[in-house]
Amino acid sequence: MAKHTVRFLPNDITVDVDRGTTLLEAASSAGIELKSTCGGDGSCGRCTVLIKDGLVESLGQGNLSKRSKDQGLSLACKSAVAGNTTVVVPKDSILQSHQILLDEKNLLSEVSIDALRNYKKDSFIKRYYLTLEEPTLTENAPDLARLMAELRKNGVNNAHIALENVKNLASVLRDGNWRVTVTTSDLHDFISIISIEAGHVTKPLYGFAIDIGTTTVVVNLVEIETGQIIDSQGTYNKQARYGDDVITRIVHASDYDIGLSELQQAVVSTVNELANKLVVKNQLVPEDIKAAIVAGNTTMTQLFLGINPKYIRLEPYISTIAQVPLVKGSELGLVMHPEGIIYNFAAVASYVGGDIVSGVLATNMAKEESIVLFIDIGTNGEMVLGNQDWLVTCACSAGPAFEGGGITHGTRAMTGAIERVFIDSQSYEVKFKTIGSGKPIGICGSGLIDGLAKLRNAGIIDRSGKFNQSVQTTRLRRTEEDWEFVLAWAHESELEKDIVLTESDIKNIIRAKGAIYSAIRTMLKMMELDGFAIDKIVIAGGFGNYLNIGDSIQIGLLPDLPIEKYIFLGNSSVKGSRIALLSKEALLEAEEIGRKMTYLELSVGNTFMDEFVSALFLPHTDLSQFPSVTQ
Amino acid sequence: MAVNIIKDRYASNVGEVVLGATKDQGGTRSHTLTVGGDATLPYLHFEGEVKNKPIIALEVVDVVPDWNQVVKGPYADVLDNPAEWAKKCVEYGADAIYLKLDGAHPDRANRSAEECVATVKSILEAVGVPLIVNGCGVAEKDNEVLTAIADAAAGENLLIGLAEEDNYKSLTAACMVHKHSIIARSPLDINICKQLNILINEMNLPLNRIVIDPMIGSLGYGIEYAYSIMERARLGSLQNDKMLAMPMICTVGYETWRSKESNASEADFPSWGDQEVRGIGWEAMTAAALIQAGASILLMRHPEALKKVKKNIDELMVSNQY
Repeated sequence: MAKHTVRFLPNDITVDVDRGTTLLEAASSAGIELKSTCGGDGSCGRCTVLIKDGLVESLGQGNLSKRSKDQGLSLACKSAVAGNTTVVVPKDSILQSHQILLDEKNLLSEVSIDALRNYKKDSFIKRYYLTLEEPTLTENAPDLARLMAELRKNGVNNAHIALENVKNLASVLRDGNWRVTVTTSDLHDFISIISIEAGHVTKPLYGFAIDIGTTTVVVNLVEIETGQIIDSQGTYNKQARYGDDVITRIVHASDYDIGLSELQQAVVSTVNELANKLVVKNQLVPEDIKAAIVAGNTTMTQLFLGINPKYIRLEPYISTIAQVPLVKGSELGLVMHPEGIIYNFAAVASYVGGDIVSGVLATNMAKEESIVLFIDIGTNGEMVLGNQDWLVTCACSAGPAFEGGGITHGTRAMTGAIERVFIDSQSYEVKFKTIGSGKPIGICGSGLIDGLAKLRNAGIIDRSGKFNQSVQTTRLRRTEEDWEFVLAWAHESELEKDIVLTESDIKNIIRAKGAIYSAIRTMLKMMELDGFAIDKIVIAGGFGNYLNIGDSIQIGLLPDLPIEKYIFLGNSSVKGSRIALLSKEALLEAEEIGRKMTYLELSVGNTFMDEFVSALFLPHTDLSQFPSVTQ
Repeated sequence: MAVNIIKDRYASNVGEVVLGATKDQGGTRSHTLTVGGDATLPYLHFEGEVKNKPIIALEVVDVVPDWNQVVKGPYADVLDNPAEWAKKCVEYGADAIYLKLDGAHPDRANRSAEECVATVKSILEAVGVPLIVNGCGVAEKDNEVLTAIADAAAGENLLIGLAEEDNYKSLTAACMVHKHSIIARSPLDINICKQLNILINEMNLPLNRIVIDPMIGSLGYGIEYAYSIMERARLGSLQNDKMLAMPMICTVGYETWRSKESNASEADFPSWGDQEVRGIGWEAMTAAALIQAGASILLMRHPEALKKVKKNIDELMVSNQY
């Protein structure tokens, strides 16, 4: 197979690839991750590159926008290497490492719900300091029997021990002079020995609390005995190159022989990248991490474990897993103790997974009398309504709009993303704020919500989201494809082109917000409650922290309830993971919660569809649902 | 023990819309017609006032239409003269005239705005009943033609259509300025119907100048969907939803006379019987069902069907109060 050299500018990285490799694949092997919402099949038009010189074979037109074509760009996924080539990668084609929601400090104050206080802080990971009787000629029990007997004296019966731990047992016992530290996992009526260390080891016990999101992955390093979060790392889920959304990834896993393992590899390597960082930064070794609690949606969990998600997306939408068997670190190749336990939160249904169960644990709503609405705003739009007596949940598939997907200049919440917009209703002049305060590179979810509310307030768009073409401002203009409003002029932006919001973008945002709002209404209707029956609304998500509640109500994304009822939890999934790590009682209760949650299939019956069409209006077709929205 | 018969009481009623304007109102009609105003579900006189009876308008087209022989028959000698045609309609008992400007369609006769204005004027001169005008269905052309008509006929309080979700601003502005009423059409979707009414009203056209066209299917071709939507609109009107409380208009003639049942000859389908009886029956039945759903204005074609429906309406308007 002929090999060619591909040189990527401006970073000046060169790779050797087989003839026929697409530029998308070549970039990836050069460590340059290009945006690829569609997973490389040519339909999203994001992976544009400039072929400076060399030989490249076109595999088809794909969805290359006219704008890009006019600039002489090509789609990387549709360009196959046919000779030595030099490629220039434009800035906005690169999937940049973006600001992951690690925790607070932003627009709106985050509240910490100390859900852990309700549970016994008694982890399923336990440590025993044992001093064994030294064997003699007359007292000559084998090492293992001696150890087990001592464990039994400490109340640990029927502990299982893996061969790996037995191999070095003899030297460990003698190195420690018969003093030994045994760490076990006691869960689901199964006690396993994780590690046997010489002497009495006082080094802290550590575990990972992990959130595997569709878009971002977060790992917290937690000290089990004190409960402290020592450190935290986050990054984007490497699965993104196989598609931005769950469905595209499921298709990749089921349609390609190696698809499933590629996806599993991608997410495991993402977790390991973070785990490694944490271990190194905190001067630990992998063996110090005795457990990992993982929260992910159903598809993410199945892909993480290498379980084919094929039937999740096919009617009647059945997942393979509910509760997942305990897995050892070595089985997945995770950076942790090889005998350490990986626990995955159970899935409730195909589209409501362990991350939501974990989130419910973190909100404490299953222990309260007041009725709580918990919403995870993101691509999947899951929500839970209820209290200690009942819990219902659904997923409305809001789409990627809030994470920038399908929006002309949409981005995820990263440095340079416009997150706040101000528009003067007389002069139509725009002021904006970006994350990190530098020049804008695009608009993230918060910015889109803000933008929509301000456009409506200034009368630039009508209630159906269409531009009022009679508004006099150079910012509002018509292009060949659409009408658009300029938020940032080229000279103000990092991209050297105007950052605009088009009429199609606005339609997409309205659909996304309509999905979430109508899911809320549908759930309330099914439970025969009205909005005023909700005592508290907890918002979570990588997007949640940058949410302007006032504007969200303005555009009809969230119910018109007093702002005091709203609480931000930030990343509820990883918070729940930590709680489960620190308290076995909480972990088991989460399992109970998962079993108790009733999944409402929104696609059954007319209610959701009806509510949805009704919600495609700013703020809503039924204005009486939004009394505080004056205009 | 006396049995207490429970009657529903409603919070509000359907709004009223006036068609046409007399001399002292700025127009040239001999009289005006008022539709809507119902304070109860259709014809349940015992639960509220059924204020105005539904009216029937007969259709006149500005060019010779390609209707079948049965429905063209009654208008044989006037098909090429809209003014004479309108007179004939009034003779046949039409409460109003429904002028469909198919001739303005760019792919057909492509009649100009001036020509269309002339047609409207000729009909206004020929008859004294209120006039309903509908464009050709091509947005750009209609915006031009209908605004010209609204201007030329200012003061006549015409009912002009159609305003739709994607194209309503131009017509709404024209109706507002020249004081006409508007037909707001939605595609069998109660939410879009309401949204459109809100958008039109926010452009300052008063609610009592909006008539809802929910879009219908004729008998056998989706009438039940229309029925459901109209039923929901009526219920909304009675439950204080001001944005749904408008009288409804139905294109009965158009929908029924394109059905197979109205066009198939007896020769081709002997078991279906006489085509004329069939076609007239199809139109009359469709109209009869829709007035039960709350239709206030029926746009019909055949005079015999009109006769049957009028009889039906008169019977329904007899109070069944107890």
